[in-house]
Amino acid sequence: MKKHLAATIAAAITLGTLVAGCGNTGTNSAGNTTGAASKTNFKVGLVTDTGGLNDHGFNYLADQGLVQAEKQLGVTGSVVQSQDANSYVPNLQRFASQGYNLVIAVGFLMEDAVKQVAPQYPNTKFLIIDDPITGISNVTSAMFKTEQCGYLVGAMAGLLEKQNKLPGLNSQNILGVVGGQNIPPVTSYIAGFQQGVQKTDPGAKVEVTFANSFSDQALGSQIAQQEISDGADILFQVAGGTGIGVINAAKSKHVYAIGVDADQAYLAKDTVLTSATKGVDTATFDVIQQAVNNQWKSGIQYFDLKNNGVGLGSINANVPSDVKQQVDALAQQIKDGTITVSANMQQ
Amino acid sequence: MSILTNPQLWASTLAMAVPLALPAIGGTFSERTGVVNIAMEGIMLMGAFFGVSFAYWTHSAWLGAIGGMLMGGLLSAVFAWAAIRLAADQVVLGMAINIFAAGLTTFLLDTVFGYGGTPPDTPQLPTWSIPGLSHIPFVGAFFTNQSVLVYIMLILVGLSHWFLFHTRLGLRMRAVGENPLAADTAGLNVWRLRYTGVIIGGLLSALGGVYLSLGILNSFDVNMTNGRGYIALAAMIFGKWTPLGSFGASLLFGFATALGIALQGNGISANLLGMLPYVLTILALAGLVGRSKPPAADGIPYTPQR
Repeated sequence: MKKHLAATIAAAITLGTLVAGCGNTGTNSAGNTTGAASKTNFKVGLVTDTGGLNDHGFNYLADQGLVQAEKQLGVTGSVVQSQDANSYVPNLQRFASQGYNLVIAVGFLMEDAVKQVAPQYPNTKFLIIDDPITGISNVTSAMFKTEQCGYLVGAMAGLLEKQNKLPGLNSQNILGVVGGQNIPPVTSYIAGFQQGVQKTDPGAKVEVTFANSFSDQALGSQIAQQEISDGADILFQVAGGTGIGVINAAKSKHVYAIGVDADQAYLAKDTVLTSATKGVDTATFDVIQQAVNNQWKSGIQYFDLKNNGVGLGSINANVPSDVKQQVDALAQQIKDGTITVSANMQQ
Repeated sequence: MSILTNPQLWASTLAMAVPLALPAIGGTFSERTGVVNIAMEGIMLMGAFFGVSFAYWTHSAWLGAIGGMLMGGLLSAVFAWAAIRLAADQVVLGMAINIFAAGLTTFLLDTVFGYGGTPPDTPQLPTWSIPGLSHIPFVGAFFTNQSVLVYIMLILVGLSHWFLFHTRLGLRMRAVGENPLAADTAGLNVWRLRYTGVIIGGLLSALGGVYLSLGILNSFDVNMTNGRGYIALAAMIFGKWTPLGSFGASLLFGFATALGIALQGNGISANLLGMLPYVLTILALAGLVGRSKPPAADGIPYTPQR
């Protein structure tokens, strides 16, 4: 009898936590919904990928764009965080079936889900971040030329390495890169970085290591320490949460780091030289604005240096002004097309 | 071969062994008293999250470490109560604890600190070099610029082994895990000894989590344990349910990870190298250690005879 009771309680505990785990999604979205005074009654739903809103990356930034739109455009926003890949389709459908005007899918992982759901709800508009979908009239894709900002931070790193004036830089001409995974949204940054270094400091060696994880800070820290022991003194991280460990290791070993996606200077202001930023927030805001103002464009929209879709974060005070000027000049050349940056990484 | 003489490889090996060895020894304490514990992953997450939280709130990394351990201990006490008092299925329970802790820490991270993550000005535990030892070639890397928890872990390995195998209380705890009826008949309090084992295990596992969030870093991230609690489970079995063995197995896993990092710089595929720790696990379990035998009463709830 007692044993039976215990088993029932165990089952109840397990069920309870499972339910609590799912319920998590709902409470988070509710907490995030700020009912701004909406004149237009325009409803925007945002579905994150499994990275969640605290990914230090595109999910976080997309949410920032939505928050901005709530404040400035008066739209009503709601967010749902996907717990696993199987919930992409139901999460998108949930918003679409509730009459949301625009549904935002964050991340290339949701490509198949958007392709499946969008045709079922022709009256709802869909935005997918980081994935090129064409040929569906109610879907627009935001693509980022991150190789361009990667190029600029690479050029800056190369110049600093060649000058060798910053305190803490060694005499070896080695730069380190830590990537999350060997996938296009990561390697495009690295490709640009390699070309930028090549431009300003052709003799430099760029050491690239992949962590195969976007959430393992401890591993990121170890990889960074390995690269530092190999002689790297400026580390570019393209690894989400793993990269937080890279910046931390650079800080404790008194070398330099370059942030990614968002402006990461706040993490360690003396260590972070600058950040290669990806304007997922501006892109999200822009597309919401297009939808609100009936200026909808289906197909692919590119965000690059020219329209401030990618760029540089705040620059460390120790970076000399002549370096900044040269980087600015290169940015200008990319904008006017004198320099084209390839998104293909040298393996 | 220059890779093997790079001191960084050995420093990384030890650094990556800590978050496996602590929960593996924690699991050993629990299972030696007869409670199957697969909840190390969840308890580590609790330790990691509350370690950072308390460190931020109190402005002291040490108080953070203690707070993180206590919260991990608290969760393991709940686990122990359900496993021992209610005689619930320990594997199901352990899984429930893991899922619960993952959900709870994510929820609290978002609600307490917001989506920007834990504050960057959270204090971190110090790193130490041992003056005499750090100058010895090769071995010196073990003792250069390592987190203070690395040294604490080394002490705990020895201490745990001594405690479990050379003290009266250790003997009693093991007796309860092998034959609780005999131990009960001899006048030992089976439940109390099992509570002790599980809660000591919880404190050690939580310290493993604290190492990840406050030893290596000063921040918490969702699921930052990345399955290390489960690898620790393998290390515990691989180490034949002994603290020294668990530590040895953890060193091997740590070495595989460190080697994976070092080899990548030499142009070998990252995906292949990612498998290295697991290939080593299979090879080691299949050939090297021979049969690993758990405590006889491991996982079997016990009802005291009146």
